[in-house]
Amino acid sequence: MKCTECGYEAPLSEFRYLYNARIDGSISIRQCKNCEQWLAVDELKGVALEKVTGGAAPWGKSAGIEGLAEDVKKKKRRSA
Amino acid sequence: MATCKECKNFFPLTDNPAKGDCVQRVVDPRQAYYKSKPVNAEDDAASCPSFQKRS
Amino acid sequence: MAQAALKNTSIEEFEKKQEWWWAAEKRRSSRLDYLRKAIWKKGAIGGLYAPGVKTDLEQAVLTTNMARSLENAPDPYVVKSAKIFAHVLDNKTIFITDHAQLVGYTGSLPHTMNWNPSIASILNAEVFNDPTSIPDPVDKNQAVIQDIVGYWAGKSDLDKMMPVFDMEDMMKMLSGSIGWGVPLARGGYSNKDYEYLMTGKRAFQEILEEIDKKIDEADELVHTPVANKEIALMYDKLNNWEAMKICLEAGIRIAKRYARLARIIAENFEEDPKRKEELLKIAAACERVPAHPPRTLQESFQYDIFIQMMSRTEAIEGAWPCRPDYYHGPYYDKDVNIDKTLTPEEALDLVGEFLIRAAEVCQFKPKFAREGLQGIDGTWVWTMGGVDANGRDACNDLTIAFMQAARLVRVANPTFAFRWHPHVQDKVMREVFECIRHGLGYPSIRHDPILIANAMHWHGHPIEEARLWVHQACMSPNPPTKHGYQPMRMANATANCAKIIEYVFTSGFDKIVNMQVGAETPDVTTFKDFEEFFAAWVTQMKTIFSILVRSVNRARVLAPTLTPRPFLSAISERSVESGLDTLDPSIARGNAWITAFTWVENADSLAAVKKLVFEEKKYTMAELKEALDKNWEGYEEMRLDFVKNAPKWGNDDDYVDSIMLRCLDECAKFSKEIKCPCGNNWPILPENVSGNIHYANIVGALPNGRRLGDALYDGGISPGPGLDKNGPTAVLKSCGKIDHITQGRAFLLNQRLSPTQLAGEKGYQLWRAYMRTWADLGLDHVQFNMVDDSTLRAAQKDPEKYQEVIVRVAGYSAHFVDISRKTQDNIIQRTVQGLG
Ligand code: SF4
Repeated sequence: MKCTECGYEAPLSEFRYLYNARIDGSISIRQCKNCEQWLAVDELKGVALEKVTGGAAPWGKSAGIEGLAEDVKKKKRRSA
Repeated sequence: MATCKECKNFFPLTDNPAKGDCVQRVVDPRQAYYKSKPVNAEDDAASCPSFQKRS
Repeated sequence: MAQAALKNTSIEEFEKKQEWWWAAEKRRSSRLDYLRKAIWKKGAIGGLYAPGVKTDLEQAVLTTNMARSLENAPDPYVVKSAKIFAHVLDNKTIFITDHAQLVGYTGSLPHTMNWNPSIASILNAEVFNDPTSIPDPVDKNQAVIQDIVGYWAGKSDLDKMMPVFDMEDMMKMLSGSIGWGVPLARGGYSNKDYEYLMTGKRAFQEILEEIDKKIDEADELVHTPVANKEIALMYDKLNNWEAMKICLEAGIRIAKRYARLARIIAENFEEDPKRKEELLKIAAACERVPAHPPRTLQESFQYDIFIQMMSRTEAIEGAWPCRPDYYHGPYYDKDVNIDKTLTPEEALDLVGEFLIRAAEVCQFKPKFAREGLQGIDGTWVWTMGGVDANGRDACNDLTIAFMQAARLVRVANPTFAFRWHPHVQDKVMREVFECIRHGLGYPSIRHDPILIANAMHWHGHPIEEARLWVHQACMSPNPPTKHGYQPMRMANATANCAKIIEYVFTSGFDKIVNMQVGAETPDVTTFKDFEEFFAAWVTQMKTIFSILVRSVNRARVLAPTLTPRPFLSAISERSVESGLDTLDPSIARGNAWITAFTWVENADSLAAVKKLVFEEKKYTMAELKEALDKNWEGYEEMRLDFVKNAPKWGNDDDYVDSIMLRCLDECAKFSKEIKCPCGNNWPILPENVSGNIHYANIVGALPNGRRLGDALYDGGISPGPGLDKNGPTAVLKSCGKIDHITQGRAFLLNQRLSPTQLAGEKGYQLWRAYMRTWADLGLDHVQFNMVDDSTLRAAQKDPEKYQEVIVRVAGYSAHFVDISRKTQDNIIQRTVQGLG
């Protein structure tokens, strides 16, 4: 898998697993061990989709995965 | 040597004037309040930054 | 929000936009607005205390100095404890906030967190190692803390207990893998004997007279020309009574200090005649209570606050069991309806301030507790509604006033739990619903008839006492009566239940803490059928529960002598009468329970293994074990199979629901085999606080498709977030298959509802219909989040704009922006149920 931020390439398992977006979806959050960036990852395809930002204060701040969550995607599709 | 009893913040107990309360107003970033702490009339006030000479 | 925008938008406009927090700000009185904004928010955020909130060194210094001076005194330990307590009350700094009508705080100043160093040296070490909350000047105070930490090393309650515990149990528990907390009587939470204390018949002075009579009788007995065991033990009782007296007298004295301060302000500083009058009223109240029973609502609230303040001086109290509408209600009725000395608006100000006084309370907590209680200091779940001892509706005007005040002050802690029964009037239910609709996440709703029967079934409380129950913490009912009330609940009887299923795969070896914690059950690959697999599950369950319960039981029998509570004893009829410390198991009926964190993962995991491994044989046990060992790494398709193609709890699917019932049956059977030192049972109580996040990095991969790191389900008997696909009635039906009287002590259910769908009268009627189904199915609990995804996601993006959004986390509520990102995501994942 290739980090979308620094381009570091390594097998999926070498990107540190943090947690999932939902248990019944294959989007997870992993961390690049090279640049330490949090990434949204498609576990089935083994592809890093985009970076996930914690903001200045990661507690309570947007990590930026809301665009990938199922309900938001559905809404987007509906309004499209 | 200055003592608490010479301080404006000192309020002696009526039944025992050797003891009393040190009452001060505080305005912190969220609220304003009065605080109180037991002190003795003869306590040394020399090192107290809040000492205010009673007029 | 900019002041101009706040000013220019009407209350109705805010309410239409469901921005209830701004509407509340505009609606409440200027006094409540000031006091609400004056609160120093003390719930930890991400395990850290907010800037400006500081550990209070004053009690720690006073306690240590007094302990030092008593070291060579001939007093028995309980008397020394009482003298330390009195010394703190006599010498602590007290304060009165502008506009306040109620006084009394655990710390010395509004921004401080109380710290009692005599309880647990591990807590003391955390104070030392938390530089963010050490008050300025840090260098000087660090030296003060170091001295205190050094003094109590080897002397705190925990240090005294450790050598006399079963060390193996202790190590397993302290590993943090299966339990949560330490078994300490002064480190859990206590209910109170409110029937003795709060019914207007007596207060401290009257109790002192009762004790004096007891001492006189005992004195006469020990000086009669005879000798026996009773006399031999009487000397210990005399010591206990003496200690109780010291505490009560100190309690009266500190109230008089508040009275004096109020008078000094009125007579020397205050120029506003109205405020002067208020201050003189505060003075009169503090001269009256706690010495004598209250006469007015203000005095009644003041009495309650003093009792809580003193209890928190003596011990760390992680909860706040009470029933304020029931015990303060008669004073509201007298002041507002009969004597008309208070208008309803003035009364509402007092009620709102009472909530605020509780919201500001904080005692320094270790990090694991802060992480488990994100955003709050402890679970102040206040009991409302319900029936009286005769079974009649106990809701009153104060019940309604509390609901209204809650919507005005919008604190996340305390929260309410409403005891529903079939005779609750519609006007009360509407008030309850308004709180939920305003997104407070509370009250949670409790099924009174079920829980009364449950209290009788599990602990043998007589019906008249069972009917008086209050929440001991988030969920567990406990009667506030002479023999019924629970003087200690140690949070470490909190089982991280997901470990039960995890240990079936590891033969009890915990890979996270690297030690054998569970039972050494056979290698999981050797099981030939589901029955063998399930038998291993039962063994692991029994092993984990026993480790936790044994240590609590041990602490309980040692508590009266090693860690007594003279103040709590002094306000307990059974202790005043018997001369025994209130922790003595011989005078209590017992009301123990095991909190079952991370419970539902077991049913979902067992169902997945049964179906996919043993029945369909789609995967071998060896393959599953390998996938779990690798944290599902490289097994994503298989993982999704275990999530999506195995039945999940909460969908009214008998396949998995029957497994849930079987698990609960096994636990219920075992609950009657394990006994507390009072001789009573240990039922389980599935709920989570925020253990689902705390344990995310402690629980390994599970067959329900969860990986190490993922949040666990939100707890109790709530379905996995997003896994309840069949609608709200299916959830209720699954949960309704459980016998809420005999299969456990209580069962937490989180539900998310759509605020848009539940708007207006139609919304209320939809909710009532839902609640009727809930009641008919006999569920004991339900609580709601009614904030929509878009608001929550907006709050994640712009937390500054959404500071006041409150959500139900598990057994408690918190401000959304104060909980961790992972917890926020977990709440958003929960299915929003459409009703009707
Ligand atoms: S301010 Fe200082 S000197 Fe004055 S009474 Fe208080 S302690 Fe004493």
